[in-house]
Amino acid sequence: MSWEEFWMVLVICGACMLACRTLPLLFLKGRELPPALSRALGFIPPAAFAALVANDLLSPGMFAAGIWPAAVPLVAALVVVLVAAKTRSLLWSAVAGVAAYALLLAI
Amino acid sequence: MARLMFTRDHIKDAFHAAVPIMLGYVAIGIPCGILCDSIGLDALQVLLLSALFYSGAGQFMIPNMYLAASPLASIIASVSLVNTRQMLYAASFAPECQNVSRRLAFFFAATVTDESYGVSTAKFAEGGWSVDRALMVNLFSQTSWTVSNVVGVLVGSAIGIPLDIAAFAMTSIFICLLVTQKMTSANIVAIVLAMLGVYACKAAGLTGPAILVGALLGVAGAMAYAGARDRRIVAAARAASGEQGREERS
Repeated sequence: MSWEEFWMVLVICGACMLACRTLPLLFLKGRELPPALSRALGFIPPAAFAALVANDLLSPGMFAAGIWPAAVPLVAALVVVLVAAKTRSLLWSAVAGVAAYALLLAI
Repeated sequence: MARLMFTRDHIKDAFHAAVPIMLGYVAIGIPCGILCDSIGLDALQVLLLSALFYSGAGQFMIPNMYLAASPLASIIASVSLVNTRQMLYAASFAPECQNVSRRLAFFFAATVTDESYGVSTAKFAEGGWSVDRALMVNLFSQTSWTVSNVVGVLVGSAIGIPLDIAAFAMTSIFICLLVTQKMTSANIVAIVLAMLGVYACKAAGLTGPAILVGALLGVAGAMAYAGARDRRIVAAARAASGEQGREERS
């Protein structure tokens, strides 16, 4: 990638990213939030985490080449669910997830 | 405001909260730097990307699409589309940011990522958290990401990290954040619809906006569900008070 191409990517992607990150908060800040809006904001965490998890774990046709090893991420995810429910710790969840994933791929 | 910010204790709190993210960013930041090296980006360019753009998904997509010979316009459009989900993150902290300066709110919002958003959401829900701590969680995370990316470029492909395994650290963090949400019926509606929405988007070939569309669908569904429940409760209360009124009259 040349420097010209690099600058194009950095400036445009960077500007879009900064706008997406800051404009909604700056717009809402200092205004009285209507109850319906603050309720909607409260639904963002479960919806966003569910979307991120689904994006990582699910894709159409994932089992086209057979159940195994395609199911490895799903089984590892189950291990993480158990560890997360028990410990509520991000660190332990990440360690357990990576270990389970690596072990399942090895067998 | 008289309340002290950025104290030693706050820095400690923020560091402890940021450790899981920082370790995860080492695991995926080094492979990301290696990938960037493979399309000829140098350490300075990767440093600029990490400091000014700061997007895990974006910084993986750029070299991947470039290697696949995608046109520059298509790379920029796809990366920006994937990042539109960030609109929801900072916005969700609007209540917490009402009493801090615009400058602090701006820097906090400008450095939010999927992972630091998750940690800050959990910490604000626990209580005893503040925007200055949340900003420092972002900055610790970004430092780890930037250093790891630069290390990745410098070592090049000298070390091999299986990327799918490293990336599962991030998936695990998202799973933990999801599992520790309050499982109210409205939240479950949001979760199920968001997952279905992501899957449907992918099935329709819309992988770019899948996360944003899925999350918005989840929020909309939960709002509709909670609204319908409120109307039922109001109707039941009205019916009950109506009966009571009739009893009093008779």
